[in-house]
Amino acid sequence: MEYEKVYMFQPANDRPAKRRRIEPQGLQTSWKQRRLAFDRDWSIPQRAIDARLHSINASTVDKVWTYLNLALKPDQPSTIRTGIILTGADGATEAGISKKIAEKFRVGKHRRILVPLSSSSGSNIKVLLKTLIQKAISPKFESSDNDLDDDDGELRTTRTKGHKLLNYDLQLLYDHVREHKKEQVIVALEDTEAFDSDLLSEFIELLGCWQDRIPFTCLLNVATSIESLQQRLSKAAIRVLDGKVFDVAPSSDEVEQVCEALFNSGTPLWIGSSLMSTALERQHDYIQSIDSFVKAVKYACMSAFYANALSVHLNISIEHEVIAADHFEALRQLDSFRTYSRRLLDNNEVKLLTTYLESDEALRALVSGRIAEGRQKLGVMIHVLKVIRLLQQKLPNTQVTPLSSLYVQALSGKLNGSPLLRSLLLTIRKVPSNIAASVLRALQLYHLDNRDLLVDMQPVLFRLDSLIDAQRETSTKPLRSEDDIHNSTLRTTVVAQKVELSKQKSALSEQDRKYTELLVSLSDCLGEFFEETLVDPADLVFHEIFVYDLKSPYREVFTPRPRHACERALATPHDYLDCDCCSSQQDGGNAEATLAATQPATAVLYQLYLESGSLINASDLWHAFQAVLGDGKEDAETMALFQRALAEMRYLGMMKSTRKRMDHVAKVMWHGL
Amino acid sequence: MPKRKLGAGSQVAESSTPKKSRVNGNQDSPAATSAVLDTPSKQRSILKGTPKKFGGIFNGEETPRSQRKVLFTTPSKPDEIEAPPESTSTLTTARNDRSARRKSARLLLEKTTFDDASEDDELAADDAIAREILNSTDSEEAEEDDFDALATINNIPIPDAPDTPSKRGRGRPRIHPKERKRSPTPPQDLPPHELYFHQNKPGAQKISSNTLPSHLLLTHEDYLVQIGAWQDSHQVERDWLQRLHARAFEQWVFELDQGFNICLYGYGSKRELVDNFLEQLCAESGKDRPKIIVVNGYTPSLTLPIILRTIASAIVPKNALSALPNQPEALLAALLSHLTSSTPAKKTHLVVHSIDAPRARLSQVQSALSRLASHPSVSILATADTLTFPLLWDSSTRQQFRWLFHDATTFAPFTAEIDVVEEVNGLLGRGGRRGMGGKDGVRYVLKSLTENARGLFRILVSEQLAAADSSSPAHDEEALSSEDEEMFEEVETPSKRARKAKPKPKRPKVRRTEVQEGVEYRTAYHKAVEDFVCSNEIAFRTLLKEFHDHQMVESRKDALGTERLVVPFRREELETLLEELV
Repeated sequence: MEYEKVYMFQPANDRPAKRRRIEPQGLQTSWKQRRLAFDRDWSIPQRAIDARLHSINASTVDKVWTYLNLALKPDQPSTIRTGIILTGADGATEAGISKKIAEKFRVGKHRRILVPLSSSSGSNIKVLLKTLIQKAISPKFESSDNDLDDDDGELRTTRTKGHKLLNYDLQLLYDHVREHKKEQVIVALEDTEAFDSDLLSEFIELLGCWQDRIPFTCLLNVATSIESLQQRLSKAAIRVLDGKVFDVAPSSDEVEQVCEALFNSGTPLWIGSSLMSTALERQHDYIQSIDSFVKAVKYACMSAFYANALSVHLNISIEHEVIAADHFEALRQLDSFRTYSRRLLDNNEVKLLTTYLESDEALRALVSGRIAEGRQKLGVMIHVLKVIRLLQQKLPNTQVTPLSSLYVQALSGKLNGSPLLRSLLLTIRKVPSNIAASVLRALQLYHLDNRDLLVDMQPVLFRLDSLIDAQRETSTKPLRSEDDIHNSTLRTTVVAQKVELSKQKSALSEQDRKYTELLVSLSDCLGEFFEETLVDPADLVFHEIFVYDLKSPYREVFTPRPRHACERALATPHDYLDCDCCSSQQDGGNAEATLAATQPATAVLYQLYLESGSLINASDLWHAFQAVLGDGKEDAETMALFQRALAEMRYLGMMKSTRKRMDHVAKVMWHGL
Repeated sequence: MPKRKLGAGSQVAESSTPKKSRVNGNQDSPAATSAVLDTPSKQRSILKGTPKKFGGIFNGEETPRSQRKVLFTTPSKPDEIEAPPESTSTLTTARNDRSARRKSARLLLEKTTFDDASEDDELAADDAIAREILNSTDSEEAEEDDFDALATINNIPIPDAPDTPSKRGRGRPRIHPKERKRSPTPPQDLPPHELYFHQNKPGAQKISSNTLPSHLLLTHEDYLVQIGAWQDSHQVERDWLQRLHARAFEQWVFELDQGFNICLYGYGSKRELVDNFLEQLCAESGKDRPKIIVVNGYTPSLTLPIILRTIASAIVPKNALSALPNQPEALLAALLSHLTSSTPAKKTHLVVHSIDAPRARLSQVQSALSRLASHPSVSILATADTLTFPLLWDSSTRQQFRWLFHDATTFAPFTAEIDVVEEVNGLLGRGGRRGMGGKDGVRYVLKSLTENARGLFRILVSEQLAAADSSSPAHDEEALSSEDEEMFEEVETPSKRARKAKPKPKRPKVRRTEVQEGVEYRTAYHKAVEDFVCSNEIAFRTLLKEFHDHQMVESRKDALGTERLVVPFRREELETLLEELV
């Protein structure tokens, strides 16, 4: 089979009785249960994220859609109506808008053709036109009705009557449009920047020429700016276009939105701070579509359920009898459980502890309770983060921190007592009453939406509210805080040739003083609130189960270093093979790779290759190779190995042939670059 | 030689012994000297010589050569040589004149042949300068060459020059100062980037010119025998690696199931591993086996239509197969829409071995695979062997693939993937394989050539196709197959037109040599002139030279001895090439 080009795989032995697989052992036995738990638990956030993604650019899509509808009745037949969609830097990675419009196309009956074109569709005008015509005429892009039967799935690039036309002749498209009474042909260019500018201009000019016969409409995805698009197009092409600009949410916005959707969804598994920050960083540093972020989150969830056997406890509905005993034994080994036991001992609750240690059932109950509690605490934490953002929005001169970065800080347990929070509280102490009023309103609203959250703060809020109301009736000037720097004057006096600085509080009314007191108590209250709710997840019992924070599979799976892996395998084969013979440790513990006759032939050749310059003499290489491997072997045998190693090196892309000198090969790759 | 000696003076007789020994040395290995003599180092030696003249003239002791001269000139004239009189005029001429060496050689020659007894100061000074110039040349061989050449021109017997230091220089081991500086072993423990620059220093490369004797390289049979007999001492460890990776099978199933696609990388063939995985996949799913299509990316004749056709035959019911379009693009679209509409309960698994192999690397294959991969009911398990495979995909393709990468280093030999003997022959440029990467290589070369060169190539291709067309009735089979191909891909309209637009008078010429392949040299030339590709035959030759260099065109002589130009590609390839050129 290995020399076939493409084939259907048939297992070697059809008998299912002969199973090569060994039945799972140990903690892996619970995989089926975990798999079920994953399916159930992941579906919730997945749905939330999907819904959010769908709604992100809904308004833009609607606008584009109405624009396209408008373009059906052209007022200036000589120009092409063009929707220019500003996608931002990641425009090329996702054809988001046009995809959504294509979805809209699928539903409903209409007489339009949507043709998505990308820069890879053709590098010259003929091929581009050919692709356009093929896509437009082929049944797949047609609007789901009638025409399928008479087309019979075949492309009709030839005409039944008249001249035979070239396959890039727009006359073909014209015939098609006339025959099927199409009202609009929408040409969507997915990556406008990637097109050669001459080609693009020529293409648009040509479409303009046919505009009087074929009702073209264009959609251009622009990642840079309108100005640069204008510079790239020829004047004639610009004259043909009649454009309108649409904006798309930037990608950082999308990430925030997805994060919010994820946190709000009541996900059973929380992603820890370090993993989250890695994923966010990657998203920020490289131009990635939002999809890759969702993928990363999903994969994190998958790895948690797959690799962490204890995640079986996340499914509360499972009876404890179903879970194998070793899963409970594993629970008792957890660090957080040990700390908890220590606490029980300190509190002289030995009896309770012994039940946990002896009874699986009791432990199961404890786990369920603690997990629920931990989840609830983390849920509250998200609300607190939102309150923080709310305050930041209302207060002057404060930047609103993105939810995702607050989340990362909060889950690392560092948000509590951070400079960010302290400065926030200090600012609250200084605000005049008009701003305080808006802060209050926001807090009240939030409280109404999430009933039990800000209960402790209610009396303070109420008193403050009434004070401000009372003041508003008497005077138009807002109440001022004592701590506000604007309300004190700095005075310099020269006493005995020394400058004395003295702060003088400007005269504050009785109400101002009261107001200041209330502000102080409000900020104290908020401080307590933050203190109480912003828990360090690492302090929660059994946090190992519901907080997943491992970077390693994420890093290896999404950002692999294949070149490094191959180079390492060849330079130090011992790292992979773990054999006794090739260990570099045996001669003096030298970590540096050493050549040994026992190493695989390709590894030996690779190490010789590393020492040479950019041109390698094949004969010398052979002699060196023979010196290492040829001991007590026939030439032909060594030669076979040598040839195989050479061929493999070439196959891996490390060598290539050169015409510079006879019997030389060119080195292509340098180790570690 | 004896004749020369006769004509020489007493001085000559004195110093003839060293010369003789040199000559003897030459006679020992005539081949070696002739090879050395051939080196056209004249120009270089003059260039190098110029600056030394100054030093040599103004203060003789600076260069070691002048010292030597002092030692071996006649003792009566040391002062003249060491401190030559003010002879600025000769100096400038010596400096400016490119043929200074030649002149000085002649001067010495005259002096020695006529054996002028009156050696006045001026002559002595000239002599010194002349010698200095001669000495300053780096290669004695070139100088000797000049000397002999002069002698033969003048048809006079060359006496052994009395004390040309060249003889002395002969015995001295020549060490270039550069060589002395360079350390024999490369510095150790350089960081990777430093090592790169060290190994790429301009001019620092010194490689031996050894050649690998052809008989050492094994033939296919010998290779297979040897490799078959060879025992790998790491078999145990390799099996262990396989088992290690096999433990992740369950994880892979899960990942594929969740809509991800897997890409395995790492050194070693991953065929066996993947096959084991597939076996397990089938065994687990029991009777309701998933559809698995395996693509061997490394096979040299893999094409996109073959892949798509096989997939189609696997997932589309038999009665609907014939209704599918033929063109890859349309076929792919039809497949995807079929998958969307029918939504099979089980995923279709696509396994691609060596997704980065040359044939699978083509952008159309990759984009088709990525579109398949992005479909929810298709999952891809691919293996990649080269070190730089992630560069295959741009960000949007990569996103469509939804890859998860796993390190699957197996250390297994690439038995199926590589044809070792062919590969090595290709690497060392020994017959067998064509240097250029076939059609793609041609495309690449044409891109970098001028418009005229492309025009000429177009002429050659279209003429060759036309010739093949007109001779096709003679070959029924060929005609049939070519028609089949035309039906298969309906893209040849421009080429057909080009062929039809051929001027009539050319026909008989082509018809005359029915069985012949390619275009007659003359025909091609006239056609090129007609099309204003070139104006004369020299330009035509120059254009052709480029094609010859890249093996895009071959020259063959037919039975009558007329030269024919052949573009060494198959018909379909020619047609696609032509289509791109037009």
